[in-house]
Amino acid sequence: MWRTLTSLRFTLLVLLTLALVAILGTLVPQGEPPAYYLERFGTTFGALLWRLGLANLYSGAWLLVPVSMLALNLLACLVKGLPQALRRAMTPLTWQAAEALPLRGRFIWPPEMKSSEVVAKVWRAELGRSQRLSLPGKEIFFCEKGRFRPLGPYLIHFGLLLVLWGALVGKLWGVEGKLVVHEGELAERFETLRPLTERVLPFQVRLERFQVNYYPQSGIPAEFRADLTFLRHGQEKKRAVCRVNEPVTFDGWTFYQSSYGAEPSGPLGFEICQGNLCHRLEAPVRHRVELPGGGAQFLIIKVEGNLQGLGPAVQMAFRDGPGHPRIFWVSLNHPQLADQPDSPFAQPAGYRFTLTSLPYRWYSVFQVKQDPGVWYVYSGFLLFLPGLFMAFFLRPQKWAVVLEKTPTGDKAGRLLGASPRAREAFEVRRERLLRRLQQGARE
Amino acid sequence: MISAIIGIVTLIYLAAAFLFLAAGLRAAPAWDRLARIFLSTGWVLHTAAFLGRWWQSSLLAAQHSPPAGFQEVLRMVILQVPLANFYESLVFFSWCLPTLPLISFRRYTTGFLGGLLSLLASLLLAYASLGVDSHIRPLMPALKSNWLLLHVLTCFVGYGAFALAFGAALLFIWQLRCPLLPAATSLPYMDRLIYQATVIGFVFLTLGIVTGAVWAEAAWGRYWSWDPKETWSLITWLIYATLLHARLVKGWQGRRIAWLAVLGFLAVLFTYLGVSFLLPGLHSYLT
Ligand code: HEM
Repeated sequence: MWRTLTSLRFTLLVLLTLALVAILGTLVPQGEPPAYYLERFGTTFGALLWRLGLANLYSGAWLLVPVSMLALNLLACLVKGLPQALRRAMTPLTWQAAEALPLRGRFIWPPEMKSSEVVAKVWRAELGRSQRLSLPGKEIFFCEKGRFRPLGPYLIHFGLLLVLWGALVGKLWGVEGKLVVHEGELAERFETLRPLTERVLPFQVRLERFQVNYYPQSGIPAEFRADLTFLRHGQEKKRAVCRVNEPVTFDGWTFYQSSYGAEPSGPLGFEICQGNLCHRLEAPVRHRVELPGGGAQFLIIKVEGNLQGLGPAVQMAFRDGPGHPRIFWVSLNHPQLADQPDSPFAQPAGYRFTLTSLPYRWYSVFQVKQDPGVWYVYSGFLLFLPGLFMAFFLRPQKWAVVLEKTPTGDKAGRLLGASPRAREAFEVRRERLLRRLQQGARE
Repeated sequence: MISAIIGIVTLIYLAAAFLFLAAGLRAAPAWDRLARIFLSTGWVLHTAAFLGRWWQSSLLAAQHSPPAGFQEVLRMVILQVPLANFYESLVFFSWCLPTLPLISFRRYTTGFLGGLLSLLASLLLAYASLGVDSHIRPLMPALKSNWLLLHVLTCFVGYGAFALAFGAALLFIWQLRCPLLPAATSLPYMDRLIYQATVIGFVFLTLGIVTGAVWAEAAWGRYWSWDPKETWSLITWLIYATLLHARLVKGWQGRRIAWLAVLGFLAVLFTYLGVSFLLPGLHSYLT
């Protein structure tokens, strides 16, 4: 059991299973109502997809089981490998161990050479700082690089565990919902999706003002902006501006601007002319209205607070006979737009609708959220950075030079070293070091 | 002006591809050197075009709402980095392809591998010029974030490195199948290149996913929402994690690693292109 849990074959299996589950999740549309699957995939197959939970893959056992396996696997590997990695990282190279490193080359110097200084010079240039030890009859230089590399993978794996833990915390204790506030009004109740219930915030929010601002002359929105006030027991606590991409946090709850709209706050006033014959009338939204004289009807579909930067406008449907109704917009501030043929403002032939009054108010929809798991996730992310660096960019290597006197009075040097993980770079450096040391005699 | 430069760069990369190919077929290092001169020239122009477009869209944004003070100028310039639509991302992706080989894998990217990468860069640019809307548009509110720069940059640098690993893997597999080809690309070299490029790609993809998650949390309140593009980047990440473990811990080498690198890059391409065209979602370039 333990052998399986810590085996890398199991890891590869889990990683590929997760990949397959994720692929499945992008092929089958997620989170739609049952009817959708029946219609799209046929009754038998659609029902099967629904029964198997493939329609809500990411919140069910399909994902939970392999992710738990991954977490177990990571934990087991951590328990198994971390102590040894820690021990290796915490044990500095001793001179005894340095002297026992494999031999990588020899050099001989004449007796009059200032051997220690030459070695120290070459060492500084090629390897940086070294430790130096004089023993009777010999002298040892040694150093170790990338000692902390073995901890890198464990930082990554531990970070990953933190991320998974954070996700679990968020799933169990996080709250997420939708809050609708009208301009000038207070709100504290919001709707959560899973499960579908209503909840109450521990404070109130007032939408002071809502604006949609456009890039000049382009009709492309530049900014959605909500000015909010937070209150507790009727007392103002904080004012803040919430924009798309700029959420506001109050008391652990975060508010994200997610959508908006304008709602009529009374009947709309129109002047409607047919030729020279004009009437004034009031019309409610989404109710069919007969024009005086009969034969023609219209219906106000919706109200926009700022249509493409042109200010308030209403969308209407108009019909004066059989056939499809005409759909067009009427702008409050720019009635002359109706004269442009082929524009969305072009009106039915022979008629002219002008808005005389358009009472409306904005509302804004916020996603409200409290997720106590985010900080675990972020801590995990932070661990990735040193972890990746240590695992991939540190090259552990050990070097030593031992200088000894030969019976003839010459100085014999041995270059020792090891680097099991970066053989190529090690070899390049070995050649250079040895060449410089051997030349040292002639310098 | 800038699209004209991009057109020229496309042709230069194409020429470099043919020169590399010729170098590979005749095993002639002189052709390699010539090809590299072409590639470097193209790359310099390409960089200029990228910066030029950045300049242009910053100017345009400054006309809409003139920034006041150094900080606002800086923020505007950061926001206007030309990585905001499909055209710009294609231009940047194809910029990443020759960048890594020119900087740090010079020894490896000659002959067929150089040809493959230059050709890929050239094709992507041609597609960007001919098939994609290249207008500079004002930034949507959802993209106004400092994270945009970091997120897209890290993702695409990662994709560029994976492309290099993919090229090396293709050559490796090809070499195994038809060992009689004249350009005897050394198999151990290719094997090492696959691994090294994958490491770089993996590190940058990890950073890309992390910055994406932080951005999503800051902007939409959810660090992970199983959007198809997110999900596919996770799939890509898992495939490369598998490759790295198989190689480092289990000691796999050669053919099996090469196939994993090919699989991984197919996942990259699907993440980048397939998701936009075949699956709906947040990241779709088409909406
Ligand atoms: C998606 C999940 C995972 C990621 C991103 C990941 C990442 C990494 C990385 C970057 C390394 C360093 C590679 C190197 O040695 O240079 C590594 C090593 C390693 N991983 Fe993972 N890992 C994951 C899951 C796992 C799991 C579940 C296990 C459990 C068996 C595992 C076991 C190992 C082992 C034994 C090493 C080698 C440690 C060493 O070199 O001392 N990994 N991993």
